[in-house]
Amino acid sequence: MKPVLVIGGGIAGIQASLDLADRGTKVHLVERTPSIGGVMAQLDKTFPTMDCSICILAPKMIECYRHLNITIHTQSEVVGLEGVVGDFNVKILEHPRSVDSAKCTGCGLCSEKCPVKKPSDFQAGLGQRKAIYLAFPQAVPLLATIDREACLWFTKGICKTCEKVCPAKAVDYEQKENTVELNVSSVIAATGFEQYNPKDIGEYGYGRYKNVLTALEFERLVCASGPTGGLLNRPSDGKVSHNIAFIQCVGSRTQTTGYPYCSASCCMYATKEAVLIKEHEPSSHVTIFYMDLRTFGKGFQGFVDRAQSYWGVKYIRGRPGEIREDPSTKDLTILYENTEIGKVEKMEVDLVVLCTAAIPHRENRKLGGVLGVELDEFGFFADKNMLTAPVESSKPGIYVCGSCHGPRDIPESVAEASATAAKAAEDAARAEVKQ
Amino acid sequence: MKVAFFPGCTAQADQIGYEASVRAIMPKLGVELAEMEGAACCGYPPYSSVSEAAWFYSSARDMAIAEGMGLPLFTLCNGCHLSFTETKHALAKDSVLKAKINEKLTREGLHYEGKAELLHVFELLHDKLGKEKIAAAVIKPLTGFRFGAHPGCHSIRPSSLGRPDDSENPHKLDDLINWTGAQAVEYPGKVDCCGSSLASVSGKTVMEIAGDKLKTVKGLALDGLVTTCPFCFKVYDNRQRAIAAAVGDRTLEVPVFYYTQLLGLAMGIGQERLGLELNQSPVDPVLARIGGA
Amino acid sequence: MNAEVCDQCGKCPSACPVTARIEGFNPRQIIAKVSLGKEEELMKSGVIWTCTSCLKCRERCPEEISPYDVILELRREAISEGFEHPASYDEAEKAVTETGVVQQPQPVRTRSRDRKDRVALGLPPAQKPKDQAKYTQAIKELKEAAD
Repeated sequence: MKPVLVIGGGIAGIQASLDLADRGTKVHLVERTPSIGGVMAQLDKTFPTMDCSICILAPKMIECYRHLNITIHTQSEVVGLEGVVGDFNVKILEHPRSVDSAKCTGCGLCSEKCPVKKPSDFQAGLGQRKAIYLAFPQAVPLLATIDREACLWFTKGICKTCEKVCPAKAVDYEQKENTVELNVSSVIAATGFEQYNPKDIGEYGYGRYKNVLTALEFERLVCASGPTGGLLNRPSDGKVSHNIAFIQCVGSRTQTTGYPYCSASCCMYATKEAVLIKEHEPSSHVTIFYMDLRTFGKGFQGFVDRAQSYWGVKYIRGRPGEIREDPSTKDLTILYENTEIGKVEKMEVDLVVLCTAAIPHRENRKLGGVLGVELDEFGFFADKNMLTAPVESSKPGIYVCGSCHGPRDIPESVAEASATAAKAAEDAARAEVKQ
Repeated sequence: MKVAFFPGCTAQADQIGYEASVRAIMPKLGVELAEMEGAACCGYPPYSSVSEAAWFYSSARDMAIAEGMGLPLFTLCNGCHLSFTETKHALAKDSVLKAKINEKLTREGLHYEGKAELLHVFELLHDKLGKEKIAAAVIKPLTGFRFGAHPGCHSIRPSSLGRPDDSENPHKLDDLINWTGAQAVEYPGKVDCCGSSLASVSGKTVMEIAGDKLKTVKGLALDGLVTTCPFCFKVYDNRQRAIAAAVGDRTLEVPVFYYTQLLGLAMGIGQERLGLELNQSPVDPVLARIGGA
Repeated sequence: MNAEVCDQCGKCPSACPVTARIEGFNPRQIIAKVSLGKEEELMKSGVIWTCTSCLKCRERCPEEISPYDVILELRREAISEGFEHPASYDEAEKAVTETGVVQQPQPVRTRSRDRKDRVALGLPPAQKPKDQAKYTQAIKELKEAAD
């Protein structure tokens, strides 16, 4: 049977791959970064269950890796696609990780000794990694990768420390990129999303005030595998933060940023993060500044109710107009109106978390061009029909699931992934019959 | 370079110290100030709350004079600059009103096309002259002085129309202060309003609004507040005693300068040519430290 | 005025220098009233005269509504329909329409209680229309046409 191509190794891509593989269909899972896992691997816990995110994700990641029907291509991109449903010729470009995957054991010694530090994408920029690095402790595949733009050997012709210390002799500076050509019956796009960078919403001071963070940065701060080991040590002075405010709809529901839509999961993840703070330190003061509380999913309203009644998270209806920073303490003052009582007030906090818009991934345009599928007016993949064909792209045989076609939470992404797997399985079966 | 000089009503009527300082420094910076014959009020204070047509007419008229001179329109007042900017945008979209306005302008031999470049004072100094030229003109660097920049609302908002500086993190006036050898210090509330538009409606509120900024500047022990708008200066400087009384702090004393006065001092120009005797705020200690008459 | 698209988020009164200090002034509530057709109530109340035109609301509104511009429109309507308004607006309007400037140049107090005027500072005469009558005429015509 012809394989199916799944593009994107986040939870949606992983779920689709497993669904297909389990029913006997071969899958090629293409992931742009050194490891599968996606954003879900960066989360501490998930709403509404408060499961440890990596704890429920990693077993699926390992399953993908070990599954006889799944071939994972990391550090790879789809660069060409021709043909029609049932008969797509695709080209995958595998970028070299400069490490022999057959030899590397993932011990991490190379990374320990590497002298070059760079901001870590996995730690949302709050922590650092080396020029040769493992993406994160539970990375799949657990292989080192060299960032050639940071590496001293590739940029200046010096160092080579990693090669010297590697006990498995796995470093291979000569490794070349590799093109894989496949014939597949269908394609599932599961490439995920990006977070809006709120530096352009200057009134909140992101980028200027050290103690204003995005939600993903906060997720890394509160996570045990994060740069502070899960301690709420704020960036400016490491002070443990017990007085934290969340601001919702930063970039979302805003005409001026170009993202007038709702980002779907922020009301819930802000509540989740607020509860995490309370779990860390019950005496913390946590406030969520919101416009509406969008708790439409199963278990969501109860989750928010418990956050308020059991944990004491405060919710204030009002979108703050401004954040100010005390020049000496770096404490923050939020200027807001409590719209329910019509009073303008100020609140001093240690840390502010901005819940930023889920925006289309910057690679969508390029990938959309390669696949020949339409994007919507914001840059997400367009649905064939929002109502009756919500996981189909504009091209037959190419399906979309997860946040690549709009803001989604994990349950929705998983459901859509299974939906696209079912559709792709149908295409695979038809192609089989034709042969 | 040559510009059409538009001080605006407030500068030419009672903020004459500001106008004097600008006329003193510009020739030395290689800027020729051409007089705008027949220029009148930009129209914002008298007409914006009364009649848009009258407001845009007044602003279009001044822009037409500058256009006729073939020179950029150089403003000293934040309000005027915004007024001209708003008018440009509005008339670009409303060809009917533009035609009506031009019909009246013809009677005075004027025509408005919206071609005049608008240059606010700190825009000209920062963007057109730039660091090298300003630094080269400084012969008595104001080393050791720490000032707070007050860009003023209308020079930074609304960003949708394009303003001379950034609305949330303006830096040009800070840069200009640094280029005199002094140090511009960040402070919370830098983009806050002076409150002057409320002067005729609720003087007390103006005092309270302006008092906040003066208190912040005093709290940080800065050597003064620096601005480029006659309305803002009028409140912070001319009305400082009233502000101190209104906020209940008789010791509230903050030297307030027009930027062009500070630059003039750094350029070695005499105090009397910079209108400094007209500053009501306690500038003498600062002037004494700078030295020279 | 697109006041109807406002979702009452509360950003505009948050950093408004007047809302914090003058009871009854709140740009969010003003927009709410406009979208409910209560312009007359607003014009009667006098609340529209206490905006200081700092433009923070216009700058930060996520829906691109400008409470400031709505207030200006209400002011223009209020004046044209004869609602009570601060005398200073009439005075400024009269001064500029008739003389081209808000105020005539005057001697200014120095710190040492002296007085200096434009001449004393070596400044040329203030700018004003060459033919005041034409300026006045044009203003009057444009005001009437709009009414």
